[in-house]
Formats: sequence, structure tokens, C-alpha cells
Amino acid sequence: MTELTPDAVRALAAAAGLPLDGPDLAEVTHRLNAFVDVLGGLATLDLAAAEPAPALPPDSPRGDG
Amino acid sequence: MSADLAYCTAAELAGMIRARAVSPVEAVQAYLARIDRWDGALRAYVTVCRERALDEARGAEQALAHGAPLGPLHGVPFAVKDQFDTAGIRTTSGSRLHADRVPTEDATVVARLRSAGGILLGKLNLTEFALGGTLTYPFGQPRNPWDQSRETGGSSSGSGIAAAAALAAATLGEDTGGSVRSPASWCGAVGLRPTWGLVPRTGCIPVAWSMDAPGPLTRSVEDAALLLSIIAGPDRHDRWVRAAVADPRAGLERGAGGLSIGVVTPLLDSADTDDEVRAAVRAAAATLRGLGARVEDVDLPLLPMAGAVFMALADGEAAAWHHRTLATRGDEYDAGTRRRLVTAALLPATLVQQAARARAAIRTQVLDALARFDLLLAPTGPTPAPPIASAQAPIASRAEAARRFFNRRSYTTPASLAGVPALSLPCGFTASGLPIGLQMIGRRFDEATLLRAGRAYERATDWRARRPPLPS
Repeated sequence: MTELTPDAVRALAAAAGLPLDGPDLAEVTHRLNAFVDVLGGLATLDLAAAEPAPALPPDSPRGDG
Repeated sequence: MSADLAYCTAAELAGMIRARAVSPVEAVQAYLARIDRWDGALRAYVTVCRERALDEARGAEQALAHGAPLGPLHGVPFAVKDQFDTAGIRTTSGSRLHADRVPTEDATVVARLRSAGGILLGKLNLTEFALGGTLTYPFGQPRNPWDQSRETGGSSSGSGIAAAAALAAATLGEDTGGSVRSPASWCGAVGLRPTWGLVPRTGCIPVAWSMDAPGPLTRSVEDAALLLSIIAGPDRHDRWVRAAVADPRAGLERGAGGLSIGVVTPLLDSADTDDEVRAAVRAAAATLRGLGARVEDVDLPLLPMAGAVFMALADGEAAAWHHRTLATRGDEYDAGTRRRLVTAALLPATLVQQAARARAAIRTQVLDALARFDLLLAPTGPTPAPPIASAQAPIASRAEAARRFFNRRSYTTPASLAGVPALSLPCGFTASGLPIGLQMIGRRFDEATLLRAGRAYERATDWRARRPPLPS
């Protein structure tokens, strides 16, 4: 994924109905790009078998499939 | 009541009250006096329930005099994070947005502590909506009792302060990604994140439903077990809580002999981990080996990514909960909270799905390790409490954002992502006198083994005896 610019982030926020400018815009842009960097790295892992259940049912013996 | 008595554990105080060596009114007055003296600086409390606590203490005295049945916390003053609803007492969630919110019912965990005879002393400070990263606290900047220029850890900041500085006999917090363990570590207290699905969340303002876990912050492992034994168990309003609950105090004094312990090297040996923290955790591992545990290193290579994975998922859940308010009253949030929530609201769905798969992979790695070991050992955090000013500096780059928001969280969030219990307890102090936290991660619903190991370590060391140098 390419680096997000402040203009792109502002447009995304507007589409989501969230006002965003000034120091908030600069920091949110840095935060989003940090996520893109780190989570983008997950693409190198083989996660095809990892079923994305959010939480384990309390009574499952182990629950991770 | 002297400072020595204020620093008693909740279990000890309950025993003294039952034996009529101390009265509930004396206990409440003693903690109120300490709050009056020190909380102006430390800012552990958002609301102090002075008159109500004294009224309840007088009622507790009458019950003692009449020989009424007594609960395990009879007359013991406790305090809870201001994320838990309290009937008739405002519950702010640390936000101006909820400054005047007064619930009509107690959260289940609060009701259970009160039914056990505990006396609610007040509501404790926290980062806004328990999210972490608050820049300006509407109810006062929480300060570390060991060094007031330092952070307390969050989000259960006031719970950590009040436990460490004896501003209550015991406290309750809520841990989504480390919010009990981090303040326990930085303030020098004991903090327990229970297994997800053991303690009801009813009446607790949510952060992320798939990881929120109410848990105690106390001055001893025994107290953590005591409070957990009271708050755990099924609740008709929380369908994810397990029906059968084992007594977490079972085997508490059995020692660490025969336990198998894996030391999580990707966290302990990370370049992010301070040398003093690493040395203290290695020393703790050696102590446990000396107590008869089998201790080995274990490599869990995905764990350093846990912080980012956690934030993508937990913050996404939080952003959904806050979205309408964020869109209409965004300027009433603290800037740090607002930026965190807006970021999560804008994350691409493909990245969030990658994070969801990564959570499953991290969970499998943790559960596989816990099939080999009774528990895992790691630092609770990479550093001791940092200066307050360092957390308030603007974020100038994506690298800075990753360092500040993801790296530290990779120490506590593996347990959150896996849904397993974790305990933080003091394992030393830096040369400058700041507490260091040892994290023990256990098997699902096996808090008893976790607490047994923690108790064995606590008994073998004297860290618990140290008290913070409160200002005169």
C-alpha cells in the first residue's frame, strides 16, 4: 500500500463524516502510515489457515481451531 | 489507623475487622485522611464518596455488633476505575463527555464487591474512555507515587496509584490491552488480567468487547486472588462468561515447585527492553528456578507484532462505539483520544482483516507455548515509567508513531489477543527507584496456577515491602 498523504487522509475522513485538520490531520496521517508499514508486513506471513475468530468461546477446550 | 495499617492487604484488614481489632469507620477514615493528604498531588480519584462510605462503614459496624453474617470484604474500603457504573454516583470514563453521567445501577463487579461487604470509597482516574494516550486529563493529571514527574501507566491509572500509595485497601481496573498490568508495573502494584470470559463486563463502558477484562489491582497476590474470587462467575447480562468457575485461591500457598515456565525471549531480549528491566526479569526467572520450577527460554516470533495488531482491532472496535459522538462532538474529546479514534476509523478494511488473521496466529503461538509450559514469563513493559512530558510530545513521524504506540503494547497485548490471563507483580527497582514489573501469562481459566506462581515469587522476595516516597 502506498504512503497516505495528508490530503488523502483528509478526504477519507470527510467521507467517513469525521472533521479532521490542523495538528490532528498531521498526527493521524503519521499514525495511519505507521499502521500501513507494520500491518503491511503481515502480507509476508502465511496466514491463510488462521481463521480470524475475534474471541474464543468460554467453554471451548482450546478454541483456536 | 497508622500508615502500617493502611498498607495492610485487604485480606489482612478484613481479618482485623472481623476480629474487631479495627473498625470499618476507622478504616474508612484512615483512607479518607490519606486521600486528603496526598491525592491533591497524585490525582488517583475522580470522585471520593466520603459521606456515603462513612455511612456504609457505620452500617458495617452495626452488622458486626449484631453478629450478622459477614462477607469476605466486610468493612474493607475499596475503589474502582471510573469506567464501572455505580448507581447514583457519576461515572465519567475520564471524559468531559460523561462528566455528568450518573448511572442507575452498579456494574456487576461493583455490586459483587459491595455484596461481599466492601465499602466503595470512590471512583478512580483513567485515561479517557480507557483508551490510553490522553494528553490532558479533565479530572487531573495522574502522577506516579514513586516519582511524580513520571507516568502511572494506563488506562487504570488511578487504580495503580491508589493500590501502590495505600489510598484504598484494594482497587479494581479493566484490562483490554494491558490497562491493569501497565499501571501495576509502573506504580509497583499487583495487577491481574483474568481470562476473557471469566469476569462479567456488565456495566463497564466498553473499549473492545472481544478483549475487555475487569481485574484487580492490589498490594498482594493474595488480594488479587481474593478479589477475583468475588468478581468472577456467570452473569445473566454477559453471555460470554463461563458458567463454571474454579476457586482462584486453590493451591495459592503450594509454591512454585514443579511448575514449568517459559521465558519469552522475543520480548525479554528485544532492543526495546531496558537493560535494568531485562536483568530484573532474568533474576526473577532464576528465583523461580531456585524455588523448584523448570525454567526455559521460548521463542514466540510473532509477539513483537502484537501491539500493532491489537491496536488495529481494539481501536477499530472502539472507533465503532464512538463514531457518532466523534462525528458530532469530536472537539469535546481529548486530542490524544480523538486522534487515536479517527485513525482507527480510517484504517483500510484489508489491513484490519490481516490483523484479525494475525490475532489468530498469535493466539495459536501463545496457546501452543502454554501447552508446553504452565506459564510464560516476560517483562510487563519494556521500560520503567517514563516522564509524563515524553508522552505529551507531538508525533513527528510514522516511525515515532510506531515506536510510541505499538512497541510498548507488544508486551501486554499477546495475552489480550489470546484471551488468556496475565499477572503483573513487582520484581525489582531501577537504580533511580522506579518499580519494574514481571509479567506471568497463564493458561485459559487457570488463574490458580498463575496466582500460585506469583505468590511463591512474592514470598521469596521483599519487593512488596517497599513503599513509595510520598510527598510531605
